[in-house]
Amino acid sequence: MIAPAARLPLCCALGLALAAGQKPPASSPRPARFADVTAAAKIAFVHRSGASPDKRMVETFGSGVAWIDYDNDGFPDLFFVNGAPGSSNALYHNNRDGTFTDVTARAGVAGAAAGDRVFKTGVAVGDFDNDGYLDLYVTALGPNTLYRNNHDGTFTDVTAKAGVAGAAERWSTSAGFFDYDHDGRLDLFVASYVDYRLDSNPYCGQKKDGYRMYCDPKIFDGTADRLYHNNGDGTFTDVSQRAGIANPAGKGLGVTFCDVDRDGWPDIYVANDTVRNFLYRNKHDGTFEDVTYAAGVGFDGNGKPRAGMGVDCGDLDGNGFPDLFVTNFSEELNALFMNRGDGTFDDKASAPGLRSAYLALGFGTKLFDMDNDGDLDIYVTNGHVIDNVKLYQPNLSYAQRDLLYENLGGGAFQDVTAQGGPALQVERVGRGLAVADFDNDGKLDVVISSVDRPAVLLKNQGGAGANWLTIQARGHRSNAFGLGAVVTAETSEGTQVREISNVASYLSASDTRLHLGLGRATVVKRLEIAWPGGARQVLENVKSNQVLVIDEEVRQ
Amino acid sequence: MSRSRTRIMIGLAAVLLPSMHAFAQSTSIDERLTRVAADVFSRTDRADANIAELKSILAIDPRSAQAHMLLGIAYRTKGSSDLMGEAAGELRQAIDLDPSLIPARLYLSHLYLDLGRPERAREELQAALTRMPGQSQLQALLAESERQLGQPDGALDLATQALAANPSFAEARYYQGLALYDLKRRDEAIQAFEQALKDGGRRPEVYGSLGAAYLEAGRIDEAIATLTEAVKLDTARPQPMVALARAFRLKGQLARAEAALTTVRSLVGPTAVSAADQQILRDVYLEEGLIRLKQAKFDAAAQSLRKVVDLDPTYGPGYRYLAEAYLRQGLYARAQDQATRADKLGSPLPDDLQKTLQSKVRAPKGPE
Repeated sequence: MIAPAARLPLCCALGLALAAGQKPPASSPRPARFADVTAAAKIAFVHRSGASPDKRMVETFGSGVAWIDYDNDGFPDLFFVNGAPGSSNALYHNNRDGTFTDVTARAGVAGAAAGDRVFKTGVAVGDFDNDGYLDLYVTALGPNTLYRNNHDGTFTDVTAKAGVAGAAERWSTSAGFFDYDHDGRLDLFVASYVDYRLDSNPYCGQKKDGYRMYCDPKIFDGTADRLYHNNGDGTFTDVSQRAGIANPAGKGLGVTFCDVDRDGWPDIYVANDTVRNFLYRNKHDGTFEDVTYAAGVGFDGNGKPRAGMGVDCGDLDGNGFPDLFVTNFSEELNALFMNRGDGTFDDKASAPGLRSAYLALGFGTKLFDMDNDGDLDIYVTNGHVIDNVKLYQPNLSYAQRDLLYENLGGGAFQDVTAQGGPALQVERVGRGLAVADFDNDGKLDVVISSVDRPAVLLKNQGGAGANWLTIQARGHRSNAFGLGAVVTAETSEGTQVREISNVASYLSASDTRLHLGLGRATVVKRLEIAWPGGARQVLENVKSNQVLVIDEEVRQ
Repeated sequence: MSRSRTRIMIGLAAVLLPSMHAFAQSTSIDERLTRVAADVFSRTDRADANIAELKSILAIDPRSAQAHMLLGIAYRTKGSSDLMGEAAGELRQAIDLDPSLIPARLYLSHLYLDLGRPERAREELQAALTRMPGQSQLQALLAESERQLGQPDGALDLATQALAANPSFAEARYYQGLALYDLKRRDEAIQAFEQALKDGGRRPEVYGSLGAAYLEAGRIDEAIATLTEAVKLDTARPQPMVALARAFRLKGQLARAEAALTTVRSLVGPTAVSAADQQILRDVYLEEGLIRLKQAKFDAAAQSLRKVVDLDPTYGPGYRYLAEAYLRQGLYARAQDQATRADKLGSPLPDDLQKTLQSKVRAPKGPE
C-alpha cells in the first residue's frame, strides 16, 4: 500500500475514517502467510540458556540469530548464537534447495570454548576488512569474539588483534557494523546492558519454593555502550567517550542505525531496558549528539521510560523519513515513533491495530514488506522473561505468540497474526529474529531463536502475484556491502526510500541485501542509490523480480 | 525500622543552591536552570513541571550536567518506582559529564539507599568525600549506608562526627537514632529521633521510626500519635501504616487496625515482588492473623498466618502465632509442628502456651 500521488485522496479518506473510530480495511488482498519449514530445511538448532535454580539474569535473555552469506553464493546462510557456557553456536550452510547443512565444526565458529562463565548473546555481521566476505562478531556476558572470514568456509578468531573483546565482565548485547565516519570501513557499535556479576546474583521474587524470579534490571546500574573505530589495518580503537555515546545510564538491548534526518550520515538509536532510549545524531565529525529529548523518542506518552528490547527503523508512512519501532515489556505498548521529518517524532504506540501487543513481551522485531505490496509491515516475536510469571500474574504467560502487523497506510496497522498460518499460532519464548529471502523466491522469510527451544525457520508463502526487487550493493569506495546506502525506488505505484542495513531486531542480524516489494509494478522507473559518502548512482527501468547486483561507480 | 527510605533534604538546598548559582551565567539556559533548581529543592509539588522544564533544557543542551542532575532529583522527588531507574541514570550521567558535581553523588547515594543498595551508596559517598573531606551531609549519609550494611558502630561514629560540626543537623541526628536503635539502645534512639524532630526534621520517616520505637517500648498512645503524623505526611508509605495498625491492635481498637491494613493492601497489591513489598505484605498478614486471634476467630487467624509463613518461610513469629492459632483450634499435632519450627527460628511459644500444648499432645488423641 504505497501512497502515490494519484491515490492520496483515498489515503486521506482512510485516515479520516480511522480517526472517526471506524474499522480499518479487512486485510491485504495478499495476506502474508508463514509456514514452519525448520524440519524440512534440516535445521536442528536448539538454544541452551544455561538455566539454573539461581535464576541468573542472563539465562532469560536468549540469544541472537543472523543471516550471513558467508560463501557469497547468493544464498544467505544461517548462524545461531547459543547462550549457555560451553554450548556451541551453529552455522548452517544454505544448500540452495531449501535445505541447510550444519558446518559449524569446519567453520570454527562454535565458540564453545569461550569459557565456563561466558554466556553468548548477540551477533553482528559485516565485512570489516572489505575483502568482499562477511565476518561475524559474537557478543557475550564476558569477552566478545570477532571471527574473520577466511573465504574458504572457515573463520579465524581475530579478537585479540582487533581489540574488540570488551571488558571481561561486560554484558554486551546487540551489536552492528556501520560506517559512521564515511571512511569506507565498517566501524562497530556494541550495546551494553547492566553491571551484573554472576557471582553476586541477588535473590529476587518471593521466598517460596518455585517463586524465585529473574531480577528487575532497575536494581542494577546501566553500563556505557561502545563504539569501535575501524583503523583499516585489522584493528579497532574504542572511541566511545570521544564520540559521545558512552552514557553510563544505558541498559542497551537493541540497536539500529538509520539516517533519521536524511543528512546523508547514519545516526544511532538504542533501545534501553527500563531507562530512556537514546537517539544519537551523527555530527559528521566523528562525534554524536544525544538528541533524544529534542526528538521525543526516549519515553512513552506519559514521560515514563519503557523496557526497550528490540528495535528497527524504516519509513512506515512513506514520507521519506525513517520511523522507529521498539518492542517493550508486557503491559507496555510497543513504541512507534513516527518521524515528522523535522527532527521530532510522534509516538503512535496506540496506533490502530497495534494495541494487541499490550500483554505481550516483545523481543526480536523487523520492519519488512512481508506481502510485497510496497510498504513495510511489522513482525514481532514475543516471550516473557520470567519463566514462572503465571505465579505472579496469571493473565500473562512465559511462551507467547508472535505478532504480525499489516501496514494499512495512513498510520494504521492490522494485526493479521491469525491469518498468518498455523506456524504463527504456536507459542514460543521468542528472542532473536532475523529476516532474509533464503530461497530467493522473492519473499522475505523469518528465523526466530527461542529460549531453550528449537529455532524456527518460517517460510513466507504470501504475497502471491506481487513483484519485488532484491538489491545487492557492492561498494568499492564505500564499504564492500554498501551498508548505509540509501535507495530510492520510483515505480508506477509510488516512491520508496529504504536504507541498506542489516542491523536491527534483538541480538540479531538480517540479510545485507535490500528487498523491495513492488506491488503491481513490473519495472522500477528510477532507482537511485546514495552510497555512504554521498556519491549517487541512478538506474532506470529496472525489471522486477530479480536479484540485482549494483556495483558502486568509482569516478577517478 | 530497617532500611527506612530516606528522603531528608534538610539543609541540602543550602549546599546545592550556591553551587548552582556558580553555574548561572547570563544565558537563558543558565537562568532557567537556576530557576528550576530553586524549585526542585523547595517545591516538591511542582515535580511534573520541573521535569518538563528540564527535559526542554536538555533538548537544547543535552550535555548539561546540572540539568541531568536536577532531572534525576526531580524524578526521585516524584517518588514513582517506575522512575527510580531513570533517576539513577540521570544522576550517573551528570556525574559522568562532571565528576566534581558533589550534589549529584549525594542524591545518587540517597537513591541507592532507597533501592536497597547501600554498597553503591557507600562507594559514591566515599568518592565524594575525597573531593570534599569532612562534609557533614556526606558523612551523615555515609553513616546511614554503613548502618544498612550492618555496621551500626561505624554508623554511630560517622553520625556523631557529622553532629560535632553541627549539633542541630537533623538528618545526622536521625541517622544517629537509627544506628542506636540497631545497637539495641532503644531509649537513646528515641531521644535522638525526638531531637531530630525538634531540630526541624519533620519528615515522615522520622515520625515513622519514632513511632515504631515508641511501639516497641510499649508507649502505645505516643506511638499512635506519632505514626498518625507519619501517615499524614506521606500517605503512600506503607510501613508506618502497618505499625499504626499494630498500635491500634495493641490498644484494642481492632476496627481502626483493620482499616489501616486495608489501606496498606491498596498500596502494595496482592502480588508483592520486591523484597520490601514482600515484607510489608507479610506484616499485613501477621497483623491480620493477630487481630483474628484476639477476636477468637481461630480459623481465620490460621488462614492469615499460613500466608505469613508461605510468603516468608524463614520468619519465626509467623510459625509461633500459627502454632497458637492451631492450639486454640484444638489442632494439637499441627500446633506442635509449627511450634517446633518457630523454636528453631528463635521464636518459641511462651511457656504457658508451651505447657498447654505439651499436655494436650500427651493426652489421648484429640479432634485431629
